[in-house]
Amino acid sequence: MAEDGSIGEGPIIRVSTSGKNRIRGREVLHAAREPTASIPIVEVGPTGIRELEPLILATYQGETAFYPQCSLMRVRDLVVALDDGSLPTKGAMAVTEHDPDTATLPTPDEGTFALGHRRVLDRSGWVVPANTHDYVASEDFLAATAADRADEWLSTLQDVSLRGRGRGDGACDTPVVDAWSTVQTVRDERESEPVVVVNANEADPNAEMDRLLLESNPLAVLDAALAVARIIGATNLLVYLNENEDLARDRVNEAAAELTNKVGADIPIEAIAGPNEYKAGEMTMAIEALEGNHRLEARLRPPFPTEEGLYGRPTLIHTPRTLAQIRSLFANGGDTIGTGSDPGTRLVTVVGDIETPLTLELPTDETLSVVKQAVDLDGRPKAACVGGVFGGVTRSLDVPIHMNALTAANLGTNGVVELFGQNRCMLSVVGNRASFAEKENCGRCFPCRGGTQQLASMLRDIYDGAFDAEKIRELLGTMRRSSICQFGQDAQRPVATAMNEFESEFRAHAEGYCPNDVCIQT
Amino acid sequence: MDSDPIWDDAHDTTGTEPIWKKSRRVREGQVEINAVLATGTATDPDVTSDETTTITVDGQSITLEPSSTVLDGVAEADTNESVPALCSYQKDDRIGPRSACRTCMVESDEYGLIPSCSFPAREGMDIQTDTPTASETRDVNLDLVLGGHNLLCTTCGKNGRCELQEVSIENEVEHPRYGVVHDNEELEPIDESSPFIQIDRNKCILCNRCVEACNDVQVAGVLRMEGQAGDMRIGFQNGAETMMGSTCISCGHCVTVCPTGALVEQNLVEAATLPVPGFTHSNSVGKTMGEEYTSRPRRMTPMYTEEHTEAEPKIDEQTDSIWQYSDNE
Repeated sequence: MAEDGSIGEGPIIRVSTSGKNRIRGREVLHAAREPTASIPIVEVGPTGIRELEPLILATYQGETAFYPQCSLMRVRDLVVALDDGSLPTKGAMAVTEHDPDTATLPTPDEGTFALGHRRVLDRSGWVVPANTHDYVASEDFLAATAADRADEWLSTLQDVSLRGRGRGDGACDTPVVDAWSTVQTVRDERESEPVVVVNANEADPNAEMDRLLLESNPLAVLDAALAVARIIGATNLLVYLNENEDLARDRVNEAAAELTNKVGADIPIEAIAGPNEYKAGEMTMAIEALEGNHRLEARLRPPFPTEEGLYGRPTLIHTPRTLAQIRSLFANGGDTIGTGSDPGTRLVTVVGDIETPLTLELPTDETLSVVKQAVDLDGRPKAACVGGVFGGVTRSLDVPIHMNALTAANLGTNGVVELFGQNRCMLSVVGNRASFAEKENCGRCFPCRGGTQQLASMLRDIYDGAFDAEKIRELLGTMRRSSICQFGQDAQRPVATAMNEFESEFRAHAEGYCPNDVCIQT
Repeated sequence: MDSDPIWDDAHDTTGTEPIWKKSRRVREGQVEINAVLATGTATDPDVTSDETTTITVDGQSITLEPSSTVLDGVAEADTNESVPALCSYQKDDRIGPRSACRTCMVESDEYGLIPSCSFPAREGMDIQTDTPTASETRDVNLDLVLGGHNLLCTTCGKNGRCELQEVSIENEVEHPRYGVVHDNEELEPIDESSPFIQIDRNKCILCNRCVEACNDVQVAGVLRMEGQAGDMRIGFQNGAETMMGSTCISCGHCVTVCPTGALVEQNLVEAATLPVPGFTHSNSVGKTMGEEYTSRPRRMTPMYTEEHTEAEPKIDEQTDSIWQYSDNE
């Protein structure tokens, strides 16, 4: 391994894979090291575009060639050629020119890499994850100076009003600075010791954003988390992971050790894995898991975790996505992009009726329609579910991806866009979500446990001819308004939005046929 | 896990153990033994007010002491509409609020629709019980509770002294939207094993009062919540299937707090039922469990009897009872 990292002027081969393709990536890495060559060969994290993996980035004198889905034979040839002092470009999907010692991924001007704006993903797939040499190649650790610059940070955040990202964030869609000041106030009033929790347990397999950040650039996330911890005077920093995500966990452990060595061990950083269950990502169930409860259920609120969280201590919960935005904001000296009300970028994983999911980074003033350029879909998509499992169903992707626009369109903000082809049956799509909710909820409150049961059963009754839209809407409203946590509040959204957009399809099923011949064969 | 380098290297500034090794939090005023009880429920924050507050409920101004919730104000006011707050238990502040049934939802000017039983009273709040949204939400939630309940009141020992029945009558529920559980195939067997307490989970509304009475008040550590979603049920911390297999000390506190006929004293099981010949509580459900214990009246639960030493009284072979009194005495 390159102890000194990958950033430098010499020739180098990078092998980029995500945890999903790690075995194949390891084979390619092994093959690349077979020829006797003097050039460094390093394993880097994913770029977000999974269909290219294992992706080889061959760099020679300020030029990088991109080789997607690289075969073992080709990678051996590449190594030999590079060692001989030339950069073969035949068969490369792109060749880019850049500063010889650039610390960020030199993206091609065309194709998927050119979509959006790689601001928090700038180093993903380029730097050696958890390598501090690579991390500080162009900037210093934020955490090193954070405590001295606390006032400056807080006033910048007041001006910029950055919002939390993701359903597991304690400040989801609300200004992070509000959460920070609550924690600080409680700390002073009660003389208690705050905790920072990095909530990276997103068990929705479609939501790749947090996993991508931890696999490709874990230091950025942990550096920001440590900086925040120092600013709010926290005494513990916990990283809450998914038990199934080994690569993310390894990289977090490595990065935590590096950060402790380089920046200081004043705040212990611990990585703790929680169950691979959708509900376990909810902020209070994350706290329950961290406290070691064998059974997870949502806690009442208010007071929120910022006032009374882990072991009763004021607890700031941020997702890796939020922390990456924080890092990007301060690494750029307080400059940001996107809309004023919800500045920065959003990571969006595009899934559904496409071959391989991919993750894009879009400034918040762009519209969702960009995702159509990124994927190969037969014709126009019929609809999309925006915001994850419990997102909203829409026919139009002409919606800006800032919080206000998404919320106004009754779409979710959890960063997954699922595209559906013309032959999808929307009743079966949302019916499956309702039964997922029926099985996976924690069971604590009636609007969620009983509500999802009744909802799933009323949707099944449509097949028997009983479709009572008013009765379903009445239940959906109660679930949204009176469930304890986000699980129940959001679980109604796919049905609520699909019924608005596709009510005739629902009626058709009650009359005995499925317009798409999916669930009732005619 | 101990070999993990991060955990090993991690050191607390106070020199104590890493955070994940700490036992569960014990709140101020709670009995410390709680820390080892596995109730399976979430550790809720304190949802009551810190100071004296004045709130308005349906136009009436009400002053509340510290440690109050909005429901305390609603209970004191003459409200425009009934707020069932079915699962709340205000007789003992060590029990609840669980806020599971959500039939206590009221409208507040600042925070929108809120669960009054578990929302801290805050100075100046303006509460309304009769907005259409609040009203509809409470109604739907009450019907959701009934939708999971075996509504065989006529064979139920709690007939006439059941909080769910009372609230349903008060709210004029005639035909619950989502029906009730009446299919015998779907019903869980009645736990008849204990000579003192009968459990009929088909009537349980999962309000958690019994779990808290057992753990937080009696500190007996017998009952717990288990399962998720539709499988959620009251179970036993030692993993037993029946009450008799549990470590129950038959104190009966769970029975006194149960709002429905889920937990009933054995001798009162048929106290309030309508006398229909041949039709009983047990055969209305169809299945019972724990019959193997019925030939041993007044036997204590095994976990406690097995702990006796030679100096203690022996179990009487005839009755299996460590106390040798019989029904005749």
